Amino acid sequence: MTQELIAPPAGVLTGTAEAVSVAPAQATPVERLAEQVERACAGLPDADPARVLAAVRANGGVDAAGLRDLAIGEAAALVGVEPAYSRVAARLLGAKIADEAAAEGVRSFAGSVAVAHREGLLSDAPAAFVAAHADALNALVDEAADDRFEYFGLRTVYDRYLLRHPRTRRVVERPQYFLMRVAVGLSDTVEDVRELYALLSTLSYLPSSPTLFNSAARRPQLSSCFLLDSPRDELESIYERYAQVARLSKYAGGIGVSWSRIRSRGSLIRGTNGHSNGIVPWLRTLDSSVAAVNQGGRRKGAACVYLEPWHADVEEFLELRDNTGEEARRTHNLNLANWIPDEFMRRVEADARWSLFDPKETPELVDLWGEEFDAAYRRAEAEGRYVRQVPARRLFGRMMRTLAETGNGWMTFKDAANRACNQTAEPGNVVHLSNLCTEILEVTSDGETAVCNLGSVNLGAHVSGDDLDWERLRSTVRTAVRFLDRTIDRGFYPTAEAEGANRKWRPVGLGVMGLADVFFKLRLPFDSAEARALSTRIAEEIALAAYDASADLAAELGALPNYAATRTARGELHVDHFPDAAITRPDAWDALRAKVAEHGLRNSLLIAIAPTATIASIAGCYECVEPQVSNLFKRETLSGEFLQINNYLVADLKRLGLWDAATRDAIKRANGSLQGLADLPADLRELYRTAWELPQKALIDLAAARTPFIDQSQSLNLFMETPTIGKLSSMYAYAWRSGLKTTYYLRSRPATRIAQTTITQATGAHTTGARTAPDAEAVACSLENPETCEACQ
Amino acid sequence: MLLDPGMDLTLRPMRYPDFYERYRAAIRNTWTVEEVDLASDLADLARLTPEELHLVNRLVAFFATGDSIVANNLVLNLYKHVNAPEARLYLSRQLFEEAVHVQFYLTLLDTYLPDHDERVRAFAAIEHIPSIRAKAEFCFKWIDSINRLDELRTAADRRAFLLNLICFAACIEGLFFYGAFAYVYWLRSRGLLNGLASGTNWVFRDESMHMEFAFSVVDTVRAEEPELFDAAMTRQVTEMIDEAVEAELAFARDLCGDGLPGMSADDMRRYLEYVADQRLARLGLPVRYGTENPFAFMELQDVQELSNFFERRVSAYQIGVEGAVAFDEAF
Repeated sequence: MTQELIAPPAGVLTGTAEAVSVAPAQATPVERLAEQVERACAGLPDADPARVLAAVRANGGVDAAGLRDLAIGEAAALVGVEPAYSRVAARLLGAKIADEAAAEGVRSFAGSVAVAHREGLLSDAPAAFVAAHADALNALVDEAADDRFEYFGLRTVYDRYLLRHPRTRRVVERPQYFLMRVAVGLSDTVEDVRELYALLSTLSYLPSSPTLFNSAARRPQLSSCFLLDSPRDELESIYERYAQVARLSKYAGGIGVSWSRIRSRGSLIRGTNGHSNGIVPWLRTLDSSVAAVNQGGRRKGAACVYLEPWHADVEEFLELRDNTGEEARRTHNLNLANWIPDEFMRRVEADARWSLFDPKETPELVDLWGEEFDAAYRRAEAEGRYVRQVPARRLFGRMMRTLAETGNGWMTFKDAANRACNQTAEPGNVVHLSNLCTEILEVTSDGETAVCNLGSVNLGAHVSGDDLDWERLRSTVRTAVRFLDRTIDRGFYPTAEAEGANRKWRPVGLGVMGLADVFFKLRLPFDSAEARALSTRIAEEIALAAYDASADLAAELGALPNYAATRTARGELHVDHFPDAAITRPDAWDALRAKVAEHGLRNSLLIAIAPTATIASIAGCYECVEPQVSNLFKRETLSGEFLQINNYLVADLKRLGLWDAATRDAIKRANGSLQGLADLPADLRELYRTAWELPQKALIDLAAARTPFIDQSQSLNLFMETPTIGKLSSMYAYAWRSGLKTTYYLRSRPATRIAQTTITQATGAHTTGARTAPDAEAVACSLENPETCEACQ
Repeated sequence: MLLDPGMDLTLRPMRYPDFYERYRAAIRNTWTVEEVDLASDLADLARLTPEELHLVNRLVAFFATGDSIVANNLVLNLYKHVNAPEARLYLSRQLFEEAVHVQFYLTLLDTYLPDHDERVRAFAAIEHIPSIRAKAEFCFKWIDSINRLDELRTAADRRAFLLNLICFAACIEGLFFYGAFAYVYWLRSRGLLNGLASGTNWVFRDESMHMEFAFSVVDTVRAEEPELFDAAMTRQVTEMIDEAVEAELAFARDLCGDGLPGMSADDMRRYLEYVADQRLARLGLPVRYGTENPFAFMELQDVQELSNFFERRVSAYQIGVEGAVAFDEAF
């Protein structure tokens, strides 16, 4: 996962296989392939062409294209032995893509846009722009930049992002044409294109997937997230909400939707004098609807339902993802999140009782937060309006169980989400939920669907020597904000509620990826004080540059229409709500305040740290602010399985002369952990701990320290090998006390696993009688990791 | 001793806590057929070449009856003789898992073969497709070998039982199924039949545990009655594994014909020899072939997965979480 650009060997990346072939015309397909593989290995001394070709030669009866596919697959499978094969596979795939595009007549960027426009894939304006500036734009294309892609990244681009001919399904873009097309879709001038493409082609910054999919397209839906308020407590509103969800899902948006206003089971229905079945049947319908909308075949629809824990159906809600029990009460496609008021957490801590209400009886609770919520909740309780009461800890324990069993039921905190939000200055403007990935916090109402357009800075690409290149980071952020702001005006909105809200509030979500790459490059253990300080400084610098850019945009284009309703308009910046914030540049903040006071902001919200699952793959870096999950793992995606190995570790091991078959097998046997490899230097084992081996307290502390600079939120996954209710409740209570606004998945690992087939088997004769511990426990049980060791407790 | 005739009901003190732990671990990995999404497979099936389709149809036909055979042997021949309640807990759980597998392959078959007559033919494959029939006959031969035994009184009885146990672990689950899984992952490596592969991941995980349980029963018996493991036994096991490799190889020739991109009967032969060596090594016997694994894509099966929810469902969560709410535990 490194970004260094190895000087590409001449000919590899500049043309189709045929164009650069020097093999005689009568060469067999195998000979021609051998030549291609040789070239793909050029400049990579650790990659052996013969090794790739061995598997290919053994199989007859395949045509030239099929042979190359086999070679690509073979090279990809060798990544675990030698990471350089990732580059080999990527180069071969690049040649395949070039051939495929050539078969559609695509030989230049302008040609690619012309074909895509002719086939109805791109809209008229960008096509006309490209036609008018064909030479200048063609000259901007840097084909050699393809060599920055790792195989998995390029494969992802090829499988899912490159535009395809509607009938032949062949690609009509090469990777660099695709990035150029994305830039063109957000540009007015060639200079704009140059500026944005320079970030994209160096993988320094990538917009979110919807923008990559749809920039310059006929229906340019560029937004990642939509947050829908709970339907009103009536049939028509519920069905209307399904329709909105379906329309938003169709164009590759992730959905968050609250269900807290809908009456609970047993509630009287006046119109028919019957009783309600509660929220579960409605969520079943939502589940089916989400599964049916397939986002144009590019990825599956996905939604997260938010519920407040005072809703009387909360226990059934927490069972929706169980894989046992009555199927009629299960929703396997929906994600679930708890939208938790502080009052609940206080009751949990105090071991007090908790009252569950039917929203029909307490409609006021949904729209209140903080002290007003507390007062209204206690009043309703005192008036005996609850359906029933339960021990708060029992419900909290149930939430923890759901997290452990399904990874779902994310813990998000209503009061923290509202308290510092720039959009909640005026009464009635309430954040009712977060989004599919728990990083967006924006107000919603019945007529207002919150939207967010996202992009992420690749932090790993901004390391220079033994520090970050802060000036380049600021420059990247400024460009990113300018183009994110444009997505608001150029986007196509599937619903009027989304369009209205987005134009009014103009929120964007600039995030990061590759924080772990930074730490590896600078050799900082994830839980070190230095890492925390650097991570916080990064967040501060990004916030400063982003706000500054937004204030400049306000000066140039005007402040956001609803500026008067923001906290900023009242002189409060997000950071002001956090007196303990670790400010390192007070002067810059003062300057920023002055500028904002004069011009306002173009965007009500600017920062959100999204999970970046797919774009981090494209960029070849670690996801968002996450530690690595393993030194060796595979990604399963719709396009196949891909081995991922920690390139930093391999480089270190090679330097020490330790990268051999024995070490590789040992790492594989330990599920990508180094902790049992006693022969490795201790500092290496410490640096390359995985998410499972780091204290989760460190992840929460890093997140809490950057919170003052994140005006929306962050998708914070937490990891626990073998979760128990006690450990989870301690962890989530700590997260709440630390002031986190949201958390995301709880990641755990399978209790048993497939027997490994490709590691030499130990004989069984000597293990008789010994209790054979599953490897998961063997990993967990190490001195470096006493906290997760159950065997010793 | 574990194979002494009888109906031991005593769980405390527990003689074989390892078996009980395996039972609990298995429960934590409960999955259901409804969680597998086969929708994308239908589009893939339409794209397959006739040769690939032939391979898939044969494979599905094998799966249609494979797990039922294993389940039958478990009930008829294993449960009866493994005389420890904790071991029988595991076998009960294994039986449930075999049922889930049968249901999975039934669902798969119903999805892949919309034509009613084709489905009937698939279930009858065991009768009329020689390569599948040969494998079934191998299984039945070993089921029948101890079917009449009500109690394991003599050393000869116990050896016969062990051969049956080793046959089902090393040859049927450990070779026939492993071979079949390799085809699935080969298809998967080419981006085909993701639904089949995701269900197979779970079946594979279960089968790995079944095999490991059986081997730990063998280990236990070896510790208790080492004299059972004589030269004749070694010879019989080796011959049995040879025979299984041959049967599976005939199946491979039927499936692969003249070879497919990245898969041929010769590749499969090397893979089977490699796997057979692993089984022999696990049993403490000398390896026979010294063949290297030819399938680089199988490396992927040894490495842990990471999915995100826009893709296929994450299959790594746990059932049966313990403990009570607390605020001072380390995390």
